[in-house]
Amino acid sequence: MAKFKLFSEESNRSPLSRLWKKFKANHPALVGLWIFIALTLLALFAPLISPYSINQQHANALLLPPSWHDAGDVRFILGTDDLGRDILSRLMNGATFTFGLSIIAALITTALGVIIGSLAGMSKGIRSSFFNHLLDITLSIPSLLLAIIIIAILGPGLLNTVWAIILALLPQYVHSIRNLVVEELSKDYISAFRLDGASKWKILVRGVFPNIYEHIVVIFTMALSTAILDIAALGFLKLGAQPPTTEWGAILAENLGLIYLAPWTVGLPGVLLFIAVLSTNLVGDGLRQVLKDRKAD
Amino acid sequence: MHLLDIKNLTIELPTENGVIRAVDKVNLSLKEGEVHALVGESGSGKSLIAKAIVGVLNKRWRVTADRMHWQGVDLMRLPPEKRRKLVSQDIAMIYQEPSRSLDPTAKVFEQVSESIPEESLSGNFLVRRQLRKKRVKALLHKVGIRDDKRVADSYPHELSEGICQKVMIAMAIARNPKLLIADEPTTALESTTRAQVFRLLKSLNQLKNMSVLMISHELEEITTWSHAMHVLYCGQMVEAGPTEKVFNAPLHPYTQALVKSLPDYAQGLAHKESFYALKGTIPPLQHLPIGCRLGPRCPQAQKQCVVTPKQKKSHGHTFACHFPLLKEDKKCNPS
Amino acid sequence: MREYLFRRISLLLFMLLTLTAFTFSLNYLFPGDVLTNLSGQVNSSYAQSQVLADKYQLEENIIVQYGAFLGRIVDGDWGYSLSSGQPVFEHILLLFPATIELCVYALVVAIIFGIPSGVIAAVFHKRWPDRVINSLTLMGFSIPIFWLALLLIMVFCLGLGLFPMSGRIGLLYEIEPYSHFILVDIIAQGFPYGGLAFIDALKHLALPTIVLAMYPTTVLIRFTRDSMLNVLEQNYIKTARAKGLNRRQLILHHALRNALLPVIKQIGLQFSTLLTLAMITEVIFSWPGVGRWLIESIYQRDYPAIQGGLLAVSVFVIFANMFAEFSHTVLNPISRNQAHGKI
Repeated sequence: MAKFKLFSEESNRSPLSRLWKKFKANHPALVGLWIFIALTLLALFAPLISPYSINQQHANALLLPPSWHDAGDVRFILGTDDLGRDILSRLMNGATFTFGLSIIAALITTALGVIIGSLAGMSKGIRSSFFNHLLDITLSIPSLLLAIIIIAILGPGLLNTVWAIILALLPQYVHSIRNLVVEELSKDYISAFRLDGASKWKILVRGVFPNIYEHIVVIFTMALSTAILDIAALGFLKLGAQPPTTEWGAILAENLGLIYLAPWTVGLPGVLLFIAVLSTNLVGDGLRQVLKDRKAD
Repeated sequence: MHLLDIKNLTIELPTENGVIRAVDKVNLSLKEGEVHALVGESGSGKSLIAKAIVGVLNKRWRVTADRMHWQGVDLMRLPPEKRRKLVSQDIAMIYQEPSRSLDPTAKVFEQVSESIPEESLSGNFLVRRQLRKKRVKALLHKVGIRDDKRVADSYPHELSEGICQKVMIAMAIARNPKLLIADEPTTALESTTRAQVFRLLKSLNQLKNMSVLMISHELEEITTWSHAMHVLYCGQMVEAGPTEKVFNAPLHPYTQALVKSLPDYAQGLAHKESFYALKGTIPPLQHLPIGCRLGPRCPQAQKQCVVTPKQKKSHGHTFACHFPLLKEDKKCNPS
Repeated sequence: MREYLFRRISLLLFMLLTLTAFTFSLNYLFPGDVLTNLSGQVNSSYAQSQVLADKYQLEENIIVQYGAFLGRIVDGDWGYSLSSGQPVFEHILLLFPATIELCVYALVVAIIFGIPSGVIAAVFHKRWPDRVINSLTLMGFSIPIFWLALLLIMVFCLGLGLFPMSGRIGLLYEIEPYSHFILVDIIAQGFPYGGLAFIDALKHLALPTIVLAMYPTTVLIRFTRDSMLNVLEQNYIKTARAKGLNRRQLILHHALRNALLPVIKQIGLQFSTLLTLAMITEVIFSWPGVGRWLIESIYQRDYPAIQGGLLAVSVFVIFANMFAEFSHTVLNPISRNQAHGKI
């Protein structure tokens, strides 16, 4: 017999809970979310839970392969590098730098992007034109080049890298957020709001933002994946994190010479990078798909 | 023989809260050369029926029918390719918003010449190209576009809605279809263009003996030139029959309400007189009433109306009501 | 149309001016002596620095200096590289074609693989080709480019020995630099071992091109798929279907044209990212291009070189972007008719 319904009302859920329900049904996105949360926790608690410290060298265990190899040792699950440092601990601490700092960079970029993008979107006329063309120019400088120049000005180092990445990512996301705001402003309910006498601030905060914050979250995930890749790239080019900071890209660059002897020292940080970016992209994609489905309903 | 013979057409949509029956057991039959009007408010399922006949419904909708015959061929049992071929040869459809139904990146000439069947052109490449140009010109003239060179050379967004609709009609008649389904073709047009389009369809019907299935919610315009009328409420066919009979002596309360709601400008209206309308609104798809769907709104509803009334025929006039509005000398017999 | 062109060109000039202003300001932002940054000469004697100060008009106010800077740029005097002592402009002329060659081939590969895959994914929406293409695209999108390069090197060079690891062409071959595009040069020269040289150059090109093309391909696939899905929902597609067109005709004649228009615009926007990735690829594969040179310049704190490289690369991106947008406007009937060239 079919489900017995006592009341004839259908379910009346809020948009947010409908979003979550649909998101849960998308299994890859859910797995991505779990991995994302796991990595965040790792980034927060790595120093507490990693087996060894990052600089602890074991002279008698140099270049050990991962433990599933014959020559490996279960004490060092992912093997050791040429100085005898445990790779697992280094990678776990690296999560704090690569992943944690990327999240901070992406958050700041998104926040700044929202502020500047809303300003640009709300302005009209010559001021708006001028603003927009200025943004377009910053879009035409490749982001890595911009980051490199900023590092050239500020000098290498992890913190400067974060600043450089924030400034290099900013143009693209200001552009996206500005487009979102402009699109929302052209809708009829905003006109109705304005005719009711709402001030610009109220229109922005009460009218536009509640309708675009979900898209801003999607933009945040995209910013995050780009930030992770950029921080790692800068670390790889030795322009970002300097040793002994265990940022994943820097680890890759350090062990480049060992590529023939000990390929796992080069492969494993890359795998972690891949998983981090993949999980972020899965979450972002899932969210975007779910937003589209919810709109179609 | 009937051109189009549909019996008990049902269109359902499975959703998470159960199956929604958008169209409930509708019968329709068309003979050659006739103009039938399908009347109903928006949301009554008229477009769904049209799309189901042509076969462009979204795959989510479930279409079932006892019979859906086109010139004797059962459309439901044909494989999709054959059905598409059959339908494209003999049935044509025009839509509500003509400028949206035209490809924005293709010139009008291209789109019209696409509708011309390839087989009717003979000769080598150059000869065919000339023939095509001539055909397009002839078609555009036939639908009343005098400035055919300019129109053929433009893109759809450069033309007005009226001309776009005429272009669509030109595309539709290019294959000499036996049936033209017009899905609210004049809703987006101004009144002068409306009259033009109606005149065009009427002349096509009379000159080429082309049947027209006219779907609309404007009662007054269609009643002048249609042979038969089908009234649809909420997916149920409430009355059908020859137009004069249905219009002048409606048997179903809904049809009567529709007819009464047309303001009679000839008699003049009293100052601040309220128009006639049934109380209430069309129920949403999720909360359709059981039995006769007009029940909650009908001024004559009684307890029996929770059972769907069967369709009864009397002198070619079909109606589905437990308490039809028969003439005053006959008593209403509940049956 | 004329008004549109006029607005576009004035926009271009505005962008170029701002770019040069930014580059000029770098002289002051970079650490070190302003004069050294400007000219590229270190440890000049007092007399020399006086002459230079005159030339670069350091005495005057900043607007005049900027004017002088602009004049020098147009002349071709972009300063001297601190590390090599050669004029920066000559370096760029030599190295830029190599980068452009790599980028163009990667873009061509991306277009050839990306657009059809996107179309196929959209046409077979929610069935297995769509799922497979989607998963592959997501993975390709998430892979760090330098790791991909290293993996390919490990497998194909060190493991299988199929492709060489670095450089543009083997040391055996001496090709006269004619246009600086290596494949063109080989063909133009009619070298006695031309065929072998060509194959060798192709082998050197293979891995960097694949690595560089990965990201743009995935972006193009996603974008084409989204655009195509959007178009397939539209009313005119349903009308054409009812008209009786079969699937293939429908897609080729109507859907493709409408779907590809935004894609052209997107290709233009990809240039900036492409160059970023090209820089990393050049470093890994020791490809003699502008990217590797820029990164080495920053290791060596060669500020005039960085400025010159920035100028060259950004101007290239601006022009490429403008070209793509221009083609989009030309091909798109809707925007052709807008009264004001809405930029």
